[in-house]
Amino acid sequence: MRMVGAKVRRVEDRRILTGNGHYVDDLQLPRMVHAAFLRSPIAHGRITHLDVADALALPGVHAVYTGADMQELCKPIRSPLAQGAVPEVFPLVTDTVRFVGDLVAMVVADSRYLAEDAVGMIDVEYDQLPVVIDYETALDPSVPPLFADLESNVIHTATKEAGDVDAAFAEADRVIEVEFSQHRIANVPIETRGLVADYDRGSGELTVHAATQSPQGLRLQLAQTLDQPMDRLRVLTQDVGGAFGLKGNIFREDFCVPIASRQLGRPVKWIEDRNEHLMASGHAREERITAQVAVTEAGDILGLKAALDMDAGAYPGLPFSAVAFTGVISLLMPGPYKIKGYRCDSRVVATNKATYVAYRGPWAMETWTRERLIDMVATELGLDPAEVRRRNLFEGAPEDRLITGPTLAGITTRECLDKALERIDYAGFRKEQEAARAEGRYLGIGMAAFIENAPGPKEMRPGGGFTGGETAKVRLEMDGRLTVITAQSPHGQGHETTLAQLAADEMGVPFDSVRVVHGDTRLTPFNIIGTGGSRAATWGSGATMVATRKLREKVLAIAAGQLEIDPADLQIVDGVVSPKGVPGKDIPLARLAGQMTLMPQTAPPGTDPNLMAEERFTGEETTGSGWSGGVHACIVEVDLGTGGVRINRWVVVEDCGRIINPAIVDGQIRGGVAQGIGQVLYERIPYDAEGTFMAGTFMDYLLPTSAEIPAIEIVHIEAPDDDGVGFRGVGEGGMIVAPATLTNAISDALAPFGAKVTEQYLPPSEVLRLAGVVPAGA
Amino acid sequence: MKPAAFEHHAAGSVEEAVSLLAELADEDVKVLAGGQSLVPLLALRLASVGHLVDVNGVAELTSISNGDGLRFGAVVRHRQVERSPEVAAANPLLAAAVRRIGHTAIRNRGTIGGTVAHADPAAEIPAVLALLDGSVEVRGVDGTRSIAAAELFDGYFTTTLEPEELLTSVHVPALPAGTGWSVQQFSRRSGDYGIVTVLATLARDGDGRISAARVAYAGVDAVPLRSSVAETALVGQTASPELWTAVGHDAAAVLEPSSDLNGSAEYRRHLAATLTARALQQASERAGGRA
Repeated sequence: MRMVGAKVRRVEDRRILTGNGHYVDDLQLPRMVHAAFLRSPIAHGRITHLDVADALALPGVHAVYTGADMQELCKPIRSPLAQGAVPEVFPLVTDTVRFVGDLVAMVVADSRYLAEDAVGMIDVEYDQLPVVIDYETALDPSVPPLFADLESNVIHTATKEAGDVDAAFAEADRVIEVEFSQHRIANVPIETRGLVADYDRGSGELTVHAATQSPQGLRLQLAQTLDQPMDRLRVLTQDVGGAFGLKGNIFREDFCVPIASRQLGRPVKWIEDRNEHLMASGHAREERITAQVAVTEAGDILGLKAALDMDAGAYPGLPFSAVAFTGVISLLMPGPYKIKGYRCDSRVVATNKATYVAYRGPWAMETWTRERLIDMVATELGLDPAEVRRRNLFEGAPEDRLITGPTLAGITTRECLDKALERIDYAGFRKEQEAARAEGRYLGIGMAAFIENAPGPKEMRPGGGFTGGETAKVRLEMDGRLTVITAQSPHGQGHETTLAQLAADEMGVPFDSVRVVHGDTRLTPFNIIGTGGSRAATWGSGATMVATRKLREKVLAIAAGQLEIDPADLQIVDGVVSPKGVPGKDIPLARLAGQMTLMPQTAPPGTDPNLMAEERFTGEETTGSGWSGGVHACIVEVDLGTGGVRINRWVVVEDCGRIINPAIVDGQIRGGVAQGIGQVLYERIPYDAEGTFMAGTFMDYLLPTSAEIPAIEIVHIEAPDDDGVGFRGVGEGGMIVAPATLTNAISDALAPFGAKVTEQYLPPSEVLRLAGVVPAGA
Repeated sequence: MKPAAFEHHAAGSVEEAVSLLAELADEDVKVLAGGQSLVPLLALRLASVGHLVDVNGVAELTSISNGDGLRFGAVVRHRQVERSPEVAAANPLLAAAVRRIGHTAIRNRGTIGGTVAHADPAAEIPAVLALLDGSVEVRGVDGTRSIAAAELFDGYFTTTLEPEELLTSVHVPALPAGTGWSVQQFSRRSGDYGIVTVLATLARDGDGRISAARVAYAGVDAVPLRSSVAETALVGQTASPELWTAVGHDAAAVLEPSSDLNGSAEYRRHLAATLTARALQQASERAGGRA
């Protein structure tokens, strides 16, 4: 039976659901001690006094480290992928704190309880400095930079221009200008950050067990900053309880803990608590765009000008800073729509807030801006938003190109739109909406489209793109079972299942005889991203497939030699090699592998008895458009008595090429939509004007629960089966397009009040302000 | 998020708990009941205590009795109240209000005495006591006294209990037969504290006029509030949707809620008006009349 395309039950589930997973906090090592951090209570200030003597004197405390210690114990942190202006940074602050939660000192003690007691005994005084909290202050050239070694709080500017933007605007009947702002939110995986560092004084080896998306990326960065030889540096990752981009970063705490272990010669554990996590792990999404769109009265979109500002927080992200995402935003903003001229100016600013991190579709501001703008164009011109989209969408014809360059040949956005509107009964809904309005009930419908280069067409990724593709290793064990060693580092995506499905089909072995191994830098191929960026479906799959194909060739060559027939006449079915159509000549893989391992000298001449294959996949075997994408549509009802928004229906029509496992794809979509709903209705990271952080627990940072998420109806547009790598990334799409879909629906519901939705965060009080029911306020 | 060290005392009886409270009065002592509010505060080090007197093992505080109204031992869990057929029969409003407390896991641990003593202004049970003129019984080394709801709540998270006193039981009067009732709450998510909670009871006379009405709020002030504006405006009137809207508006207009991350004072007043009208409508329907 072919496993690819089947709803195979996840092999991870039994382990995780029965409490047998292994997360970093499950690790208990002999002589292990525990770290806790002293964090800044203020947004910006100079440390005038720091005395750790009392903390150090507390029985059970092993060490207290400050920024001055770190300057002795490691090098300044440098990203191999740094972009924009980068200051010199140490793991702990050396003189100035730059956000609430900034790292002032680290205590290592016998228990976390004691470590926290000692943190409370550190004597520290600050001279408050003026804070940089909003864009205007950050952009003001008279305001001193947060880092003395930078010239400005504007750490990056860029412009992308395509087509003839002036001509497009000159030709327009109207230009509509809107200022959009997207609020700061947080990734909040169920497992917080954490690591256990274990330095062995005998061998000089440093082993780091980490909750990370990228063990190899972490290892590379630790080697640089800690000056630790890479032959004596191993990063291990087992189960990871979600990340959504956050744990692709390397954090300043990640250096402190191994440094302490190296100094003390003991394992040191640090598990971030939820309060630290919300305050200091990193935040996402805070961006604003002033957009101008040039249109004709008939609804043709001619041109788009966008001015993007991104709030990167104080410290640059590692290895990718906020700057990395402005490029994707400006590349993708025109989306699957035809326009003649486009310009995007980007600025990234530093502020006294936690670091900007990637969060599931970190460039999603482009989709929200574009799709909101299309609805506003429709309203302004008195046209139907579905018609405006149809009028301007590409067909996916061979000559279709994003105005910023890449080919859009084969995209299915138009088909997705038609199917979504049909499924949700768009025409029927409009009648229902009218009837409801007559009764004083406010229903609304929203739709939005997105495309995502996951992996993108071949022309966008020559040689395998910026990582040069991805490598996998496959080994046939002596008992005929197959071990796949992947560079992916799954943290909820189910790669132990999907890569096993692919390898089982490629090799011709049963699904349950394949084991997928990940998360050990001694074994796994290098990949700086690990798992992230919707890459696994194409790159992880492709690497597994090409490596397994290579191994299969080796096996068939040996069997062909033994049977003295052409390898092309052999098949492998259920772990048994046999000549096609000739019974009685079976060679079970266990026999073949056992023989080749124990007696490699018996390998037929010209064959390789080493039953391992390592292959790099550079994307040549991909099939299809390279674009993931889709259209979502939802129906809401707004209660003007409370400001509450009820989501009555949510329809997804998506195209991620060929589907490896429909249950996993649906799970990815539902999870993404849930986070997108959270982003609009519930979640916001609040800072006040002094930079005080105001959401220290889940009582203030509201995540949607299952009670808030509607049933999500999913329709797939699936590519035909072929021998290629036709799988495209699907992890981010749900969240990229959900905020646009939902805000468009709420805006539609509030249309009778002339509401203009330009802020993405729509708690009940804001909904009622938009409806004119309550005045502006908190 | 690890609490600072404290000493834990497992009290076996009310007497023992009360004498521990007296003995440790100068050493920062607190009573531990279900711990659903106190323990997170300790873990975040927003509060610290020298001693916790744990009353979870005090068997005499775990029962519900029904006579002159309902009487709950202080460590009766919310879940016990929610599932009690006696409570459902004697006071369906209380049963409905208790279901609004957090999630099942919270109700499994949280106690009725704990929520009253904690006095969160957004909490449901204190508002029920205010609405129905309930009371609590407290015990100190010098004996027992009863405190009426109107005298009990003294500000944000503050009651008129003395530090050495233990809240031993909560008394909730029964709903008179034929009384309609409603619990209206709006929270951003299922299980959250209400931004505003409105409780109402309504009775009518033979002519269909409103003969008695009570309205109480949680989440709009430092303590649970009774609305004399609403109660006065309702009695003697004939039920109608216009009346509910007008009373909701007038009752909300005199409220002075604060602003927070969930919304401005103006938003809360709007919410109070909406929920008051909805509560009165539902209470009126349950009272058997038409509106």
